[in-house]
Amino acid sequence: MNKRDSRALRTYLLFVLPGLLIYLFIVAYPVVYSVWLSITDFNPNRGGAWNFVGLLQYRTMVEDPYFRHALKNNLIVVAVSVFGQIPIGFALAYILFRKLIRAGAFYQSMVFFPHFLSTIVIGTMWKRLFQADGPVARLLQLLSGDPSAQFDLMLKANTVMYPIGFALIWMYTGLYMIIFLANLQKLDTNMIEAAKIDGASEPQIFFRVIVPLLSGTVLVCTTLAVAGSLRGFDLIFSMTTQGLQRMNAEVLAIFMYRTAFQDYRNPMRFAYGAAISNIIVVISVALILLSNYIGRRLRAGEEY
Amino acid sequence: MAPGVVAGEERARRGLIGKTISYIVFTAWALITVLPLLWMLYSSFKSNDELIRDIFALPHDLFANRDDEYLVIPPALNVILPYDPEVDTRERLIIESATISPGRRLMLHFLLKEELPPELARLDPGDTLKVSQLPLRLRVKVGWATIWFNYLAAWTRGGLGLKFVNSIIYTAVSTFLIAFLGLMISFALGKMPFRRLSTIFLALIGLGYLLSIQSVIIPLFLMLSSARLTDTRLGIIVVYTAFGLPLAVLLMTQFIRGLPDSLIESAYMDGASVFRTFTAIMIPMSTPVLITVSIISALGIWNEFLLVLVLASSEATKSLPAGVYSFTSLMGTQLGWQLAALVIATVPAMAVYLSFNKSITKGVVAGALKG
Repeated sequence: MNKRDSRALRTYLLFVLPGLLIYLFIVAYPVVYSVWLSITDFNPNRGGAWNFVGLLQYRTMVEDPYFRHALKNNLIVVAVSVFGQIPIGFALAYILFRKLIRAGAFYQSMVFFPHFLSTIVIGTMWKRLFQADGPVARLLQLLSGDPSAQFDLMLKANTVMYPIGFALIWMYTGLYMIIFLANLQKLDTNMIEAAKIDGASEPQIFFRVIVPLLSGTVLVCTTLAVAGSLRGFDLIFSMTTQGLQRMNAEVLAIFMYRTAFQDYRNPMRFAYGAAISNIIVVISVALILLSNYIGRRLRAGEEY
Repeated sequence: MAPGVVAGEERARRGLIGKTISYIVFTAWALITVLPLLWMLYSSFKSNDELIRDIFALPHDLFANRDDEYLVIPPALNVILPYDPEVDTRERLIIESATISPGRRLMLHFLLKEELPPELARLDPGDTLKVSQLPLRLRVKVGWATIWFNYLAAWTRGGLGLKFVNSIIYTAVSTFLIAFLGLMISFALGKMPFRRLSTIFLALIGLGYLLSIQSVIIPLFLMLSSARLTDTRLGIIVVYTAFGLPLAVLLMTQFIRGLPDSLIESAYMDGASVFRTFTAIMIPMSTPVLITVSIISALGIWNEFLLVLVLASSEATKSLPAGVYSFTSLMGTQLGWQLAALVIATVPAMAVYLSFNKSITKGVVAGALKG
């Protein structure tokens, strides 16, 4: 019996271990490494010598104006996702679900399409479109009749997030639309019919029947949006040119990348960068827990 | 009029407004999606001068190349040869367009002297010649090379061919490993005894779903550098595989736990070994979830950028997104080349999307909802 058990265990481990070891070595171990790095002054150019410095990196970070700037931009991106992409995605999904338009399948694949393309390609494309004298500027010239009109939103520090927000909505709304649509199609249509017979108007059906039923999906989407926005790197990285423009639009992930891999003058670049990426994880877990908490509170207030 | 009729009319009117708004919103969205891509596509056949002259005009110069004039130029350092002069010693006549970016050594053709009629082969640097003077075969060749000018430049100067191959290798190998290793783990966790151990393993792997490559990119870079795995294909594939496993295991374990136990038991009864059960029963039974996992993984890896940006320092290991990024940032003034590179990177994705639209959409939703 015992022998059979140990043989079964061996087979079990034979199946689990190859993948598990890769996972532990490449995903789990670096997490520990990253935490360790962030409390040292590790410098590979010094031959890897290091001292324990406590929370020095985190203290530097809190006082770093670039960190605050990146955090602010990142919260803008989170807000665009949560209050832009999700409601718009929901509304679009609802239109498709109620079959308010024909050729729904065509429109659906059009809205979802950008999500499928490489973010770098999308970002580079919008960078070109939004150039000061690019196609969008030309369109402005044609519409306004002013031949010297330029599209300068990307060039100014206080407006650069508008075109980026636009591209973010354009790129990711389709994903939320698809998720909402999939969940809408699972709903019991009798409920909507019953509400209709009772004389409810379309907005009433939407806000009183559909939205409460899909509050769980809203929560899932919020979680996705928060996590995705805090990780967001590719789109903003490729939409901006290295230097002042990218600094203006810098988000936490780009700040981390710039610190660790481009700021060669900083002797503690890896340690500081690790501290930044740890904070990104902490903030995203905190925001996800917060949105789950708010979601639960809201749902607790409902009758069912 | 009865009140009911008024309410009915009112409702119909509102319905019409709702419909109109819906159409406007969706049509506008579709246009914002299609028009930039369309602009990108047709503009990639325009020369730089044309793009500056009118950014919306349809391509003309590269196509109307029948009577183009060319200038014979001497070989020089700024002339990039498309062949190795050490190996290929055949004499060539180097000609540069006198109409498209003249004098910038961009629009060049290298004509083999042995294929030219003697009076053309004798031409010296500084002489001019017209495309119409060339023999038919060369005329056609030069014509095509002119039309595809931006694409040829992006392909050869950006080395996009190699990056394309790299992208395919990364995506195919990592996706296969994720699906295979993931299914092995999930089979063990889902259908073998050792429940408590399985719960621990599943929780451990599930935690990885909260992380992305960029949350640990710095330690990964340091680890892989000390293992001398940066700038190698192996290093990149291993990282992709490891980070694809959490979602794969979560989805697959859930799926496999839903399969009836009797299937596996009857296989054991028939004397099949565990490995035979795995290959003959688990793999075919899990096809739906395997497809879902493969789609999500492949999509993510094909588009992944940061890891390659950090790890791949040489051109030989860069994937398509990283290649397109570095090419477009280096060729800041060559808008036509940039657009061609973007089209090259977009077209395969577009083709795959249009042909597998339904199952891809389903896969993405399944993956997203797991989170």
